Amino acid sequence: MPTLYLVLTWAILGLIVGLLALGARLKPITWGRTGRLWLLLLALGASLLGGLFGLWLFGRLFSAAVALWWAVVVVCVPMVYGRLRMQLVK
Amino acid sequence: MRMDKTKSRTITGMQTEQIRARGRRGWHIGRWLARFVLLTCFLAGFYLSVFPSGRALVRSLAILPGVLTAEEPSWEAPVAEPISHTQMTLQSSAGIAYLDIYAPTTSAPPVPGAREGLLVIPGIGDQRKDAQLINFSQTLARSGVVVMNLTTPMLINLQLDAADEASVVQAFHVLQHWPGVGGARVGLFGISAGGALICLAAADPRIQKEITSVTLFGSYFNVTTLLQAIGRRSLDIDGHVQLWQPVYFPMQVLADTLAPLLPANDAASLENAFGPGGHPLTAYQLAQLAPASAAIYHLLDGDEPTRVDANLAALTPDLRALLDGLSPSRVVAEIRAPIYLLHDRSDQYVPVTESREFAAELAKLHHPYDFAEVGVFQHTEVRPDLAISQLLGDGQSLLRLLREVMQASS
Repeated sequence: MPTLYLVLTWAILGLIVGLLALGARLKPITWGRTGRLWLLLLALGASLLGGLFGLWLFGRLFSAAVALWWAVVVVCVPMVYGRLRMQLVK
Repeated sequence: MRMDKTKSRTITGMQTEQIRARGRRGWHIGRWLARFVLLTCFLAGFYLSVFPSGRALVRSLAILPGVLTAEEPSWEAPVAEPISHTQMTLQSSAGIAYLDIYAPTTSAPPVPGAREGLLVIPGIGDQRKDAQLINFSQTLARSGVVVMNLTTPMLINLQLDAADEASVVQAFHVLQHWPGVGGARVGLFGISAGGALICLAAADPRIQKEITSVTLFGSYFNVTTLLQAIGRRSLDIDGHVQLWQPVYFPMQVLADTLAPLLPANDAASLENAFGPGGHPLTAYQLAQLAPASAAIYHLLDGDEPTRVDANLAALTPDLRALLDGLSPSRVVAEIRAPIYLLHDRSDQYVPVTESREFAAELAKLHHPYDFAEVGVFQHTEVRPDLAISQLLGDGQSLLRLLREVMQASS
């Protein structure tokens, strides 16, 4: 049961980061209307993976912190990638 | 009329434009606010998981609620490590020692690669079943620290014996080699009179360079100054004399500790007088005591507050050597690890002046230390029904100290 709560914590953190990413307009324009959902799912997935990684690497106590910064890094990737691509095209 | 209508339409158009511009500005601010929050989340998450100082802060924040509420908060269950409790005995040159080990059952995480260990002496008497000590040990273990509580037959019999230092040194080595514990990540923690043995062990050349930190909670610095405070029933706090009424327990411990160096009859009289339910000695009984025994009686009973120095001078060289041998003040210069002091500011067992003197001496020696005076404890037990303001105020000091202790081992 505690592990389930831990996973839920990572998921909630991921969703919060996803919502913040939407608010910060980190969704690339090319993703279209469904892009919002994809960004939320990306944050959720990154947070869950980050949580698992943090659990293994640092222990239970620090897994939520790892989930948080992983989710932030991953939601920034599409925008950064898009900008870099634009610059290369130019 | 037409002109007015056109004017009104223009004004409405301008207003709509203003509202739109304001909306755009709002979105713009919101976007940058969201970006700022994301950046803060990244920095906080990265710092709290990757940097040792960040991890020490997380661990302290996880430990503090459990310490202050004297129970494990249910909301911490998801991040709490599963733990085990092991009991074992240790044979050292000083005799047998009883160890209670609370440790996480999972293996140490790859970063930092080994767990921190904390060797605790929970004071005089058999504290192994004390609910607050068990909660404290379990709280630390759930946050990933291996906790080893040590007691000895002498401590259980309410006697302080400097020879027990050998057991502390041996237990330290056992904890260093405990599965998952890093040999260079073990600290010492002394509660109440257990702090004296911790200091003696911390100054021992066999382990003095391997200890990461020494934490003393409600401990004394010098038995002679402790006896002075008990004898005078007053404390000198910042140049002001304040009345101080100790509870019976420290007198009982001191009587039991000093008794072996007194004539048998005198020892029995003192132990009875200062034991639970003991009565003051009559004038006839006092007259039967040897001068040194009578001096100890007056010091402990506090019936001659103006003759404290004279009574201390009446102690035999053996007694004075015993008092000196049990005082951390004797070995403070030989301790290498940073020292963290925590004391209840209205402590009725060991006066707060003891930790103040300890801190003053450490400052004089330029020894790394920190000192926090708090009001949330009665000696070393959490007070019931604490006000939120007090919890918040003292919580900050406790958090600072906990963080320093955790960081020293990380």
